[in-house]
Amino acid sequence: MTRLPFDDDNNHTAVRKVPEVPKGSKGLVPQVSGVRELPSNQRTQPLEPSGTPGTGVSAGSSVRRVVLTVGELNATIRDLLENSLQTVWVEGEISNARVWNTGHLYFTLKDSASQIKAVMFRSAVRYLKFKPEDGLKVVARGKVSVYDPKGEYQIICEHLEPKGLGSLQQAFEQLKKKLAAEGLFDPSRKRPLPALPRRIGIVTSLDGAALRDIIRVLRRRYPNAHLVLSPTRVQGEGAGREVAHAIRKIERIEGVDVVIVARGGGSLEDLWAFNEEVLARVIAACQVPIISGVGHETDFTIADFVADLRAPTPSAAAELVVRRKDEFFGHIDRIGERLDAAIHHRLRRMETRLHVLEARPGFAGYRGRIAVRGRHVAELAASLRQCMNQSVSRRSRRHDLLRRSLDQFDPRHRLAAVRTRLISRDAQLQAVVRRRVAASQHRLGALAARVEGLSPLAVLGRGYAVTWDAARTRIIRDAATLTPGEDVSVTLERGSFEARVTKVDG
Amino acid sequence: MSDPTIKDFEAAIAELETIVKKLEEGDLALEKSLELYERGVQLSRFCHSRLEAAERRIEIVNERGELKAAPSSLNLPDEDDES
Repeated sequence: MTRLPFDDDNNHTAVRKVPEVPKGSKGLVPQVSGVRELPSNQRTQPLEPSGTPGTGVSAGSSVRRVVLTVGELNATIRDLLENSLQTVWVEGEISNARVWNTGHLYFTLKDSASQIKAVMFRSAVRYLKFKPEDGLKVVARGKVSVYDPKGEYQIICEHLEPKGLGSLQQAFEQLKKKLAAEGLFDPSRKRPLPALPRRIGIVTSLDGAALRDIIRVLRRRYPNAHLVLSPTRVQGEGAGREVAHAIRKIERIEGVDVVIVARGGGSLEDLWAFNEEVLARVIAACQVPIISGVGHETDFTIADFVADLRAPTPSAAAELVVRRKDEFFGHIDRIGERLDAAIHHRLRRMETRLHVLEARPGFAGYRGRIAVRGRHVAELAASLRQCMNQSVSRRSRRHDLLRRSLDQFDPRHRLAAVRTRLISRDAQLQAVVRRRVAASQHRLGALAARVEGLSPLAVLGRGYAVTWDAARTRIIRDAATLTPGEDVSVTLERGSFEARVTKVDG
Repeated sequence: MSDPTIKDFEAAIAELETIVKKLEEGDLALEKSLELYERGVQLSRFCHSRLEAAERRIEIVNERGELKAAPSSLNLPDEDDES
C-alpha cells in the first residue's frame, strides 16, 4: 500500500476525516483498556457522527486525552467505512490485475484522476464469465473495507461486469481471440464433409425443434439416411460440458462419418453453452467433421468458428449433408455419361472404318460374288446400325437408367449377339447351298435315267447294230453312201469293231 | 456391396476419372476400351449401390455410449415428405 503515494494521501484523508468527529467525543471513551475489550459495534459508538458532540465538547475539556493504538484506529476506521458504505457501485478501468494462487483476484480500479485497490475473492471470481484484464472498463459492485494489517482500504468486489459490452459478450470476444490465436479457426483445419456418410451423427436436445427440423430435412432429401442421436442438454449451467460429452460419445460410434451439432434460436444466454471453451476444444479435437447449426442466421457462436462447417440454422446443417451427397452423385453421373460417350464414340469410329473398307473394290467384288446373300448382309447391317442407334440414344438418358439396363447395354454382349447371328446365318446359307446341290444331283440322276430310256443304244440290246463312219462322226443310214474298201465302225450292244466294206448293195 | 477391387468411394471415383480420361483420349485398342468401359460401369455401380445400401433408421446413443433404437416419436410421419 505504501508504495503508492496516493495511497498515503487517501489514508491521510481518511484519517484526517475521522478525527474530526472524535474531537468532541474523546471524553466519551472512558478507558483505553476498556475500549479494547468492547465489541466492535460498541466501540464505534463514540465515533458516530450522530453522537452527541455537544456534551462531548463540554465534557472533554477537562478529560485527559485518549490515545488509540493503530489497531484500534484501523478497526474504528473500518467499522466506520463498512457501516456507512454498505454496497457501492463503482466504475473504472482495471489495472495491475493478478490472480493469486489462492484464486483471489487483486487489481486496481482507476479513472483519470484517482484509483482504489480492489479484491475479488475466489468464490466470486468463479462466477465471472469473462476474464478481468488490464485496461478493461468495468462496473464493480462491492463493499469498501479496510485491511487492518496494512491500514489500507479497498473495495471488496462481489460482481464485475464489463462496461459497454455485456459480460457474456466480453467473454465471447476474449475466448474468440484466444482460440483464434491458437489457430483453432484456421481454414486449413477444416475438413471436407464425407460424400456419403455411413451414419449421420446428431448432437442436440431430444425435445428441441432443432432435432425435428433436421430429421424432416433428411427424411425428405436423404430418405434412407441412417441417423444416430447423442442427446444432451443445450442450455443452462454446465450445458457446454454436456454437449462436449455427447460429441465425444458419438464420435466413437462406428460408421458415424459426420456430426451435426445443433440448437434452435435463443438469446445469447440461451446459446451460451456453444460459447464455452470446453466445447470448443472438444469440437476441435473431434475425429469426425462437425457441422454446427446453432441459433438463427445472425447468431455466431464459438462452436461455429471451430466447427468444420458452420450452418446458419439446424435445418441448414442437414441441407449441407444432403447437398454434399447430391453433388457427389451428380459427379458420378457426369463421369458415367462421359464414360458412355467415350465408348460410343470409339464404336462409331470403328463403324465408319468398316464402311470405308466395305466400299473398297476388292471387298465390293467379293460382295458381288455373294450377292445371293445380299439380303442377309443388309439385315445384319441394319441390325448393327440399330444397336448403335440404341446405344447413342441411351447415352443421353440418365445414368441410372444405363445402370439398370447394364446387361443389355454392354456393347460386348451386343457384339457377341451379332456374331452369333452372323454365324447362324452362315450355317443356314451353307445348308441351303447343300440342299440345292443335292437336289440338282437327284434331278440329274432322274434325267439320266430318262435319257437312258430314250437312247438308241437300248435297241442294240435287241440285236441291232449301229454302223458309223471310220471317224465315228456319222451314222451310216444309206448303203449307197459307202464304197467298197471303205472302213466303218460298228457298235453292238456290247462293244464295237472295225470292218471294211467289200461289196455295196444298192 | 463389397468388391475386393474397390477400396472406397474416393478410390472408386479417382479410378473412374482415370478411365474416362483414357477412353476420351481414344488411342486404345477396341478390346482394351471395352475392358475399361466395363470396369467404369462397375465402379459407378458400386458408388450408387452404397447409397442404396444405407438403411433408413434412427438410433440413439445412451449414457454408456451404446446404440439403441430411437423412440418412434422421432420418426416423423411421412406426410412431411410431401412438403
